[in-house]
Amino acid sequence: MPHKAANPEYIRQNYQYMMLSKDLEENIYIFQVLLKESSDVVFREFNIGDKKVKGFLMYIDGMIDKFVIDRNVLRPMMIEARKLDEVTYTKKQFFDYMKDYFITACDVKEKDKIGDILDGILEGDTAVIIDGIDKSMVISTKGWEGRNISESTTESYVRGPKEAFVETLRINTSMLRRRIKHPDFVIENLKIGKYSKTDVSIAYVKSIADDTVVQEVKKRLKKVQIDGVIDSGYLEEFIEDNPFSPFPQIAHSEKPDKVSAEILEGKVAILVDGSPFVLTVPVIFAQFFQAGEDYYERYFLASALRVLRIIAMLTALLFPSIYIAETTFHQEMIPTQLAISVAAQREGVPFPALLEALFMEVTFEILREAGIRLPMQVGQAVSIVGGLVIGQAAVQAGLVSPAMVIVVALTGIASFAIPAFNIAITFRLLRFIIMIAAGTLGFFGIIMVVMMILAHMASLESFGVPYLSPLTPSRAQELSDVLIRVPWWAKILRPRTIQRKNIVRQEDTRG
Amino acid sequence: MKRFIILILTITILLTGCWDKREINQLAFVQGLGIERGKDDMIHIIVEILKPGLLTAGGGGAGGTGGGSAAGKPYAVFQASGVDFAKAFSNLNNELPRSLFLQYNEIIFLEEKFATSGIYQTLDFMTRNPEFRRTAYILVVTGGSLEELFDLPSSSELERYPYKEVLGIIANQRNTSSSYVCDLNEFIETLEIPQKAPITGRLEIVKKDGKATGLRMVGSAVFNKDKLVGFLEEQDTKAVMVLMNKLKRSTLTLDKGLKGEKAHISLVVTKAHTDIIPKVQDKDISFDIKVNIEAYMNEQETKYDLTEPQNLEKLQLLINDKIKQAINRALFILQKKYNADVVGFINILHQRKPKEWKKVQQDWDKIYPDVKFNVTVKSIVRRTGLSSKPILPR
Repeated sequence: MPHKAANPEYIRQNYQYMMLSKDLEENIYIFQVLLKESSDVVFREFNIGDKKVKGFLMYIDGMIDKFVIDRNVLRPMMIEARKLDEVTYTKKQFFDYMKDYFITACDVKEKDKIGDILDGILEGDTAVIIDGIDKSMVISTKGWEGRNISESTTESYVRGPKEAFVETLRINTSMLRRRIKHPDFVIENLKIGKYSKTDVSIAYVKSIADDTVVQEVKKRLKKVQIDGVIDSGYLEEFIEDNPFSPFPQIAHSEKPDKVSAEILEGKVAILVDGSPFVLTVPVIFAQFFQAGEDYYERYFLASALRVLRIIAMLTALLFPSIYIAETTFHQEMIPTQLAISVAAQREGVPFPALLEALFMEVTFEILREAGIRLPMQVGQAVSIVGGLVIGQAAVQAGLVSPAMVIVVALTGIASFAIPAFNIAITFRLLRFIIMIAAGTLGFFGIIMVVMMILAHMASLESFGVPYLSPLTPSRAQELSDVLIRVPWWAKILRPRTIQRKNIVRQEDTRG
Repeated sequence: MKRFIILILTITILLTGCWDKREINQLAFVQGLGIERGKDDMIHIIVEILKPGLLTAGGGGAGGTGGGSAAGKPYAVFQASGVDFAKAFSNLNNELPRSLFLQYNEIIFLEEKFATSGIYQTLDFMTRNPEFRRTAYILVVTGGSLEELFDLPSSSELERYPYKEVLGIIANQRNTSSSYVCDLNEFIETLEIPQKAPITGRLEIVKKDGKATGLRMVGSAVFNKDKLVGFLEEQDTKAVMVLMNKLKRSTLTLDKGLKGEKAHISLVVTKAHTDIIPKVQDKDISFDIKVNIEAYMNEQETKYDLTEPQNLEKLQLLINDKIKQAINRALFILQKKYNADVVGFINILHQRKPKEWKKVQQDWDKIYPDVKFNVTVKSIVRRTGLSSKPILPR
């Protein structure tokens, strides 16, 4: 063949810009060059009706719904077309006729660039090329096996919707759409990743969300140039405001109810194909202490639990440090009886309190890490061994004092009481820094590090929203959703820290 | 360069801390600090140091083994002498394997002889040294040496060591007001008011056949400046506390019935409020003392129906009399016997009549014994308890 397309090397480099030719053989050759090494690509040649017109069909096995191809593409073209009378269509018209009268699949696009067709195939579409026509029908036949919608494992409720996002983007968007049935609810699509070409969706309500935030999210997402996006965690790191901060500046959730509630507050959700975790921006610190269930249970209880979570947060962050500081520097602060008992317990312990605490905390972290990664059956064994090691043996061996066991156990449990896992890990990490400060400088050190952390938090921003708002800069009205959860009928306004253009959440019906 | 400076700063901040670090198990917990005047005018201190291991080794086990033998005691007693307090302290440290930890010490025991000779330097040390808590009580110990006090076998066996017993007794004073226990802070504050005299609790070692067997709070010890000058009995202490507005709750026993017959009637005073108004005429200074008492009936040996208003009124008059007598007696002792202005009349004069105060404050110790007091008492019996009419055996 004299055509340039004969050269496979040329094809591989320029397929993006090449057009389909009218010659079916040549088209087949081009696609075979591009895809022949993959065993999961199916090429199917067939005759249309009894007109002896040759057709050619391509798809990737496993990505498509075979039933759709069988019944809505192949069957009409091969069998139904036989009923055609002797009509003399030009080849051009024949293509449109096929598309308009025979293909019964609902989503059919005309494509004439090789690159576009190839992209379609790789996404799970089926391409049909007819001899003598330099256009192809790309029929949406996506259909692959996915996980069923099931209960969330990371966020579990007693009361409230149980369903959680799955790995399939369209199912995820449908779960959101089912909750927000309004034309203003927009789901925009993007493709990120040079090789992975991952579908990423941005979801927001046009009339609520702050435009600047939406634009900023799009701008930041478009800047991401990476080989592949496997999970939303990749994007989180690319688009957050301060990548060097230990604090998460983007929230993620597995629960459609939580995400849609946030969208209704004016936030922007970022959904990534293949990830059941949906990102939402902007985010404020107080949000990490709000469990979805708070809004479904009675508000007294929810408010009390919030206070409890704050206490748990402080415990997880500071309890070991306070213990260390008090036993090494500020013994006068412990009640006498307790001090004597602690002193007696520590009598045989060879390490200073700091080392003792670090030893125990690290042991605990190892156990925790092992317990998460291991299969369930082995995990139980780990927890039994861990319980024995921490609870009994370490004390009896004189490595640690019983009081320290209580401190570490309480700290560990407290860190589990924080509903957002990502902020809990932050505290886990910061705890060690504060512990070292407490062991070297006592309360002075604790206060120094805590003030450094606070200063850092005050300087953080998430998509233009100050991280510590509404505490600082303070908005008295919005404090109603920080430490306490006011009843729904009292939530007249949406949080103004997140957006300002449409702040009325409900009519004030209380008269 | 900038990074280098930051690094240096970080290191200097982080490496400053460990110098005053001490692990809790390397401390000698002092609970009980006594000060005596030793031989050759030396300051002699004696401390009771707890043994954490023995204290927490399970109540039953330690109690069983420690039923008298010295080894089983949950505390150890150390003594040291020195020319001054600081020296004595450092001498004490020489004997101890652990560093002294004084913050838990809530009571400072002053031996009688030492208190009489003046405690100024002790107070100076205590206010300078950050380890002393200003909330620690000051007690004057009489009737025995401090060694005897610290060596007492736990007399009541309710507490594991004598210090705890004293602490309990002090706490109980709040209900009986039979002794006024002053803390270090108040003591120093009082000393700093010119001419005012401090007062604090007196702890007596009870002896039987020359052997110390127990402890008891008996009234208070009166200081003049920093020197112990004498003691007040329980009744007088109560009267002084009424004058100082410090009485919270106390038992009052009348020794005659409503018609003057010999019988006892006990009441619980629940509220006592005193207003002291200074009056100056020419050069004579006098004070109007107005006392308001609220009490309820506790017990009576007579058979009056106290729900009858007349009876109640008579009872109140008796109370007024009794309290007036007690106050006058206490004032007399303070004025004539000790010449100590414990109530702080000079202070009241300073607040109410600053001009007069200026004239007399230098010579107050000469004027004070002759100051006249005009005491009026008003009492109300609020309740008669569960019973209104007394039980009449027929």
